[in-house]
Amino acid sequence: MTQRLTLRTRTAPAGAVIELAGDLDHHSAPEVRAALPGLDLRPGQQLVLDLGDVTFCDSSGITVLIAARNHALTAGAGIALAAVPDPVSRIFRICGLDQVFPVHPTALAAETAWRPTAG
Amino acid sequence: MGTSGDEENGVAGLGRPGGTGQVAGGWGNGDLGSSDDRAQFSALLEDSVEDLYEHAPCGYLSTLLDGRIAKVNTTLLDWLGYERDDLLGRRHFSDLLTVGGRLYHETHFAPLLGMQGEVSGIALELKAADGSRLPVLVTSTVRTGRDGRPLLIRTTLFDARDRRAYETELLRARKEAERERERLQRLAATLQKTLLPPTLANVPGLDVSAYYHIASVDEVGGDFYDLFPLAEGTWGLFLGDVCGKGAAAAAVTSLTRYTLRAAAVYNPDPDAVLRNLNTVLNHEYNGADPRFCTVIFGLLTPDPDRGGFHITLASGGHPPALLMRADGTTDYLPTPGGQLIGVLADAHIATTAVRLAPGDTLLLHTDGLTEAHVNAVDGVDRYGDDALLDFARTLAPTTASATVDAIRDLLDTFGSGVDDDTAVLAIHVPRPPSEELQ
Amino acid sequence: MLAHGFGCDQNMWRLVVPALERDFTVVLFDHVGAGNSDLSAWSPDRYSTLDGYVEDVLELCRELALGPVTFVGHSVSAMMGVVAAVREPEAFAGLVLLAPSPRFVDDPETGYRGGFDAEDIDELLGSLDANYLGWSGAMAPVIMGNPERPELGEELTNSFCRTDPDIARVFARVTFLSDNREDLALVKVPTLVAQCASDAIAPREVGEFVHARIPGSRLVTLDATGHCPQLAAPEETTAAITSFVEALA
Repeated sequence: MTQRLTLRTRTAPAGAVIELAGDLDHHSAPEVRAALPGLDLRPGQQLVLDLGDVTFCDSSGITVLIAARNHALTAGAGIALAAVPDPVSRIFRICGLDQVFPVHPTALAAETAWRPTAG
Repeated sequence: MGTSGDEENGVAGLGRPGGTGQVAGGWGNGDLGSSDDRAQFSALLEDSVEDLYEHAPCGYLSTLLDGRIAKVNTTLLDWLGYERDDLLGRRHFSDLLTVGGRLYHETHFAPLLGMQGEVSGIALELKAADGSRLPVLVTSTVRTGRDGRPLLIRTTLFDARDRRAYETELLRARKEAERERERLQRLAATLQKTLLPPTLANVPGLDVSAYYHIASVDEVGGDFYDLFPLAEGTWGLFLGDVCGKGAAAAAVTSLTRYTLRAAAVYNPDPDAVLRNLNTVLNHEYNGADPRFCTVIFGLLTPDPDRGGFHITLASGGHPPALLMRADGTTDYLPTPGGQLIGVLADAHIATTAVRLAPGDTLLLHTDGLTEAHVNAVDGVDRYGDDALLDFARTLAPTTASATVDAIRDLLDTFGSGVDDDTAVLAIHVPRPPSEELQ
Repeated sequence: MLAHGFGCDQNMWRLVVPALERDFTVVLFDHVGAGNSDLSAWSPDRYSTLDGYVEDVLELCRELALGPVTFVGHSVSAMMGVVAAVREPEAFAGLVLLAPSPRFVDDPETGYRGGFDAEDIDELLGSLDANYLGWSGAMAPVIMGNPERPELGEELTNSFCRTDPDIARVFARVTFLSDNREDLALVKVPTLVAQCASDAIAPREVGEFVHARIPGSRLVTLDATGHCPQLAAPEETTAAITSFVEALA
């Protein structure tokens, strides 16, 4: 029933990328939250969350995405979402998050769109 | 007492290691390298077969098929304090058991043994001659003759006093844990109750019904609702969902409820109410542990000319309300662009206004309902907004209580698939009696 | 209609059902609180006397509407059958009382011997508390499947009469503190008393007592040891039930 979450982080020229797959919910959100402080994120960079394989996102999932946003903003970096699946983008629309997170079709597109800001 | 044979025969017995008397001594007397040693060991072993049976560290018992005792070893006799002649041919195995043990023997042990030829590791209690009790673990096998017919039953009994003590301790700990858990559940239930209105305000000309489904009795959920009077015959209502569970979420829920009610008294404009809430939550909770909620706030005003009510709804990122019209038309009442409350310093609030005519029903819900796991048919295993809309269409036209009842039943069919709390609040404008007659 | 006794469920009938099904429509059920019954339907109020169970049996007869049934009750369920048949005789074509006992405790006043003295029963009810783990299944027999008797599959061995300890305690009280001797004389339906030759729980004299008190009843003594002839001697048990039911027709 529930798809276990897997999390992978990598570093791109534009900044850290977190790739998530599976259900982002009450059970798995703490794992993502725990990964945030360890990210290599410098001022002016952008944190990309690749949601391409996320199967479900509930309010706990949204909480951790907001925590990621707060984390990036505190570090002086930006944040973007990539490959948001339809059911997740629907939830985003309902709670108005589509206006808060820049969204790109792929992680690569997010990186390409990135323009270094004065750090 | 009958449960100890130690001093008489030197058998340490009772399952302790090194208790096998002579044989153990043989092992202990140096290696078996020389032929002399081997011969001596072999002789020891030869001599001790009978001794091994009699003084083994466990009880041995052979019984006829009807349970009568045919053979018994000294260890068991010593444990029980019986003479051999007390038992042989006179007593049944079940006579040696306590009454509970006898019952278990007759209803479980013996039938299973008969069916399977072997039963192992059963905990029973023996009753010694002096009335004391000895917990044992019993294993029995049926010995059959060449033709496969059962001849007799061989039984070994191991002293299980240590194990029983351990189980008693386990039981005590388990009962304590159960008590703790009950206490916690009571606490959670009490806390939950304080977050919900004991009763909903009675609004003249409006039929109101609400339901709160608790997904877990161990944790307080974050859903909330209320309906309450405001100035000059107007009414406020809200329903929402604080992210997360447990005490921390409950604190946010409490703050949210009181802020909403206070803000509505100060300025009942739904947009302003949610803006106030956003400011309060945003100041209180941001950073690595953000706390937010999604909520719909509504202001109800009676329509004195045409009957029914006007309602202005403001949504902060909450799933849209469902409107079931008197003519059966049913759809979501979209409030697009509203943002969840508490995250952004300047959250956008979306509002919409609608008139509830006689026969109309408005349903507010939290996403515990639409995110419930259902049996996956085509890979989609969540109930979903579309399914809820279809469900509502089958209900319309309806009433508040019928809607809430139907959703309760629906949640029941999901069973444990509902893994988040769910709150629903329905309001309905009854048709005038004259109209109902038509 | 086959009704299991204390501390078990309908698995108890497993060895007699295949043969009975060839000739009859067989109704199997778990008493509320046992086996796969809906445990939430159990309440200490309803089930702290035989009455709750008797009502269930009568309700089952009404719901199924099979007409008069032959009720086969094992152990304590035999007395449920007796009480049910006294209350609504028209629901029953006959009663088969398997290893019955109208009262398990001795009654020194009347000289009745049930096989247990009051002290035994106190200890038993106490031991259900102490032996909590044993009755809850944590120490349930670890028994491997028997290749020669495939019908005793894993399902049976793992679920053989597991009992919720709280419910078992109340049911034990019902079983061992009931006294239905008075009801026996009121039975008006044809009755077969089938007892075991050697039964430590319902001794032969108890079976004979039941036979003597139920007017016109028949008594058979099955060549079986123990309290569960349907497991110990399934063929003989089946034959006794079958010939009784056929004689009714």
